[in-house]
Amino acid sequence: MQLYDAIVIGARCSGASTALLLAQRGHRVLVVDRSSFPSDVISTHFLWPHGMSYLNRWGLLDEVLAVTPAHTTVEVVNDGISLTGSVPTELLREYFRDLHGDDSGVVQSYASVRRRVLDEILVGAAAKAGAEVRTNFTVRELIVENGQVVGVRGRAVDGELVEERARIVVGADGRNSFVARTLALPKYDERPRCTFAYWSYWSGFDLGPAQLHRRGRLACAVAPTNFDQNMVLVWGPSEWSREFRGDVPGNYQKALDFVSPELGDVVRSKGTREERIYGTLDQSAFLRPLHGPGWVLVGDAESAKDQCTAIGITHAFRDAELVSAALDRWLRGDASIDEAMTAYGDRRRSQNAAAYHDYVCTLAEMRPYRHDELQLFVALRGNQQETDRFIATHADVAPVSEFFQASNLFLLNDAAKESSADHAVFEDFAETSRSYQQNLFA
Amino acid sequence: MTTELDQREDGELIGIILKAAHCRDFETMARTATEVSEMTRNWATHIPWDDLASLEGADDELAQVVADLTEMWEPAHLRNPVDPDEEYALDKNAYDFYRPAGRNLLTRTGDFYGWVQARRRTETWQYSRVLEAAPDSVAQITNDLGRRARGINFNSQDYLSFNTHPAIREAAAKAMHDYGPHSAGSPMVLGNTRISDDLEAALGDLVGLDHVTLFPTGWAAGFGAVVGLVRQSDHILIDRLAHSCLQQGARAATRNVVRYEHLNVEAVRRHLTQIRATDTRNGILVVTDGLFSVDADWPDLVTLQRVCREHDATLLVDVAHDLGSMGPGGTGVLGMQDLLGSVDIVMGAFSKTFCSNGGFVASHSPALKQYIKMFGGSHFFSNALSPVQTAVVREATRIIRSAEGDVLRARLFTAIHALRDELTGRGLTCMGEPSPIVPLLIGNEKLARTANRLLFDRGVLAFMVEFPVTPTGSSRFRLQVQAGHRPEEAREAARIIEGAIADSRAYLSSAFGSAPR
Repeated sequence: MQLYDAIVIGARCSGASTALLLAQRGHRVLVVDRSSFPSDVISTHFLWPHGMSYLNRWGLLDEVLAVTPAHTTVEVVNDGISLTGSVPTELLREYFRDLHGDDSGVVQSYASVRRRVLDEILVGAAAKAGAEVRTNFTVRELIVENGQVVGVRGRAVDGELVEERARIVVGADGRNSFVARTLALPKYDERPRCTFAYWSYWSGFDLGPAQLHRRGRLACAVAPTNFDQNMVLVWGPSEWSREFRGDVPGNYQKALDFVSPELGDVVRSKGTREERIYGTLDQSAFLRPLHGPGWVLVGDAESAKDQCTAIGITHAFRDAELVSAALDRWLRGDASIDEAMTAYGDRRRSQNAAAYHDYVCTLAEMRPYRHDELQLFVALRGNQQETDRFIATHADVAPVSEFFQASNLFLLNDAAKESSADHAVFEDFAETSRSYQQNLFA
Repeated sequence: MTTELDQREDGELIGIILKAAHCRDFETMARTATEVSEMTRNWATHIPWDDLASLEGADDELAQVVADLTEMWEPAHLRNPVDPDEEYALDKNAYDFYRPAGRNLLTRTGDFYGWVQARRRTETWQYSRVLEAAPDSVAQITNDLGRRARGINFNSQDYLSFNTHPAIREAAAKAMHDYGPHSAGSPMVLGNTRISDDLEAALGDLVGLDHVTLFPTGWAAGFGAVVGLVRQSDHILIDRLAHSCLQQGARAATRNVVRYEHLNVEAVRRHLTQIRATDTRNGILVVTDGLFSVDADWPDLVTLQRVCREHDATLLVDVAHDLGSMGPGGTGVLGMQDLLGSVDIVMGAFSKTFCSNGGFVASHSPALKQYIKMFGGSHFFSNALSPVQTAVVREATRIIRSAEGDVLRARLFTAIHALRDELTGRGLTCMGEPSPIVPLLIGNEKLARTANRLLFDRGVLAFMVEFPVTPTGSSRFRLQVQAGHRPEEAREAARIIEGAIADSRAYLSSAFGSAPR
């Protein structure tokens, strides 16, 4: 029986990259997944600039960019108030220095990469780095001895039952994690109010950089992705999902028309839908314990959030780099497992991480924007630097609290160069706001 | 491609599978499962899609599959019912009400009031509690619902415990006897007394600057100094976390305000260079605190003052929290950095160590003094400090400078170290440097508000600060230590606080600690 340093369960964004980074450091890694690649998974597959920077740090960005359009500016439109900006490079560097101690490989571009493209690149890289990759492998059991996870039993591609052992088992198997369920790990910080999301892939138009629109309790986004297609996504409060589901294609178009008539028109008149419409309702946020005897969790398995800030893959990459650095210290004997895992835990459960979790969960409730929030967007219009910082905050590059700090918010309001008079939403705000409470699909 | 587009959506298919499971129709379950998209099957790998037909008879497994599919099919948000009042009270923060909508100024404040009332009902409103007796190291207070509590008091800014000091009380009584309670006018008219002149001289001696002006409150001193000096075409560089009176003074004085990164002298240098590159005609005021009252840290004033001089900018330092309670002879952060008499403008407040109300502005310039008195607004058009207040501050200044002051400060710092050590030893995060302010970082507002509610009944009075005092997501307890605190009291308080935080975390089921990133 072969003894691995680590067995990674799940070979997608967090798993393959953890395996890749451990293998690059010379550790013996087995990574298993039920699927075979290339294959898709429910995901809106957006990668913020720091997500792209991780790929660049690992030497995989060129491969992704060879087949994927990328941009640096993004347009965010809230109730007709449009902001365009990019995540500032300086803040990106600061992010990497703070979190990982070096800022190599920073890029400012973002992209929307189909998982059938991205995951295959990651799995291929893990294998090339020396990790043993077994696809079509279903884990059936964790082997636990004296309270310590020491390996897995599972069914291989040929149906044979096999047993493998390792010094650590990494659960990288997503929000429905088999590892977490088997170990009966509790969920913390659950925020059940979240969004329903439906999306599909459209050809026939090219709108350039990604756009994100929000009106009332609904939102939509379009991002250019692989195969000359666009991912067009609509989302809203989960309370409305039952009615939405009554006529998915009809309501999908209805939501687009409501949130952004221009985008709705482009999709209707120029677009060709290339695939079915995919959807998910199961997006409530939670955390799980990060590590225990013989096991550690990464990615969605330990912390899942709503899709509304499109941060999932980027966070999976971040966790992969954090956890592999921690495990490497332990496997080399530079730190005890407790020290290494505590250091990982501190970063993952930091003040800033808590504030961002709260930020995403609150956004995911899709309450109509308040008057002062919309005023803030107007105020930002004359101030590119702060607009960029807002976008960086939204993308979890800059701490939420530093932007939403009294002196900053009040200053923005005071120094606003633009007037709210040009924006229709302020016309009869109370009435508009009330109308937003009506379920559009009822 | 077209045939694929006619395929049914995953959610609908899951609905069919669930319905079939209800009738134990395994064949339909298995057949429908094959239609579910690759995306969904890969996402929910824990569901045995290929084996749905073989579940027959395996009730546990079927129940689990049904539960998992239900979660994917139905919104999860109805699972955790909560008290709507509590949810409202814990979810919102003051910024949510900063820009009320509507043309009627009277009615549009209603939303904010509704939130305050929800917080009162849920006992998470930390403001406006009422004292039942003179606050000492222990105090007795009443909350909004009329409930009374007694606890170790970290809620008073009486750093040297002067409130119960016999000499201070005696000075107050004597001034009361000699002058009565009223100051009877603006200091520019007839509000000052001989005691005021003495006090100005004593304060000048304490900070090493010749010309001191008294103000009726600390707020008035900060606001008045900034508004008095700065014209619309001038510039202000202000530390992001400088006190509110200075921030609002800056907003009132000019639109050319830069809020620089907390304590970052290099950022100040950069901004000054930028401003001077295009504007050589107008003034620049650089504003910072001595001891920051929410983070308990202080700037490198030596470099800051030098950088200001290099760019012909003027430095104003607010020593409200450190003067008297820290530094050699009570000279605060200025004395600790050997800067007595070398900072352009110093302002302070008497509401902390000095056991009274009021504030001052000091500099080497008689002209600046006279100008601020005239044009600051808050000096000219406010009634002067009352004789009782003035006498108290004068006596406090005398004690601060005496040997007794050194003893009191030593006692204060013994209690500070006991509290910080005990909190840190329990894995909690104390921010900043040892000083009379011990900020205990909590982070999430819900957690802080809940812990604050529990502390009320457990014998510790601690002030919880949140937005707009702190940025959102970094709320904390601001513990203010007094010379009268015994080290045992500090340790006991730390134990109680830890318990309250742990219980709140369990109540909210929160996995986040307060470790900095």
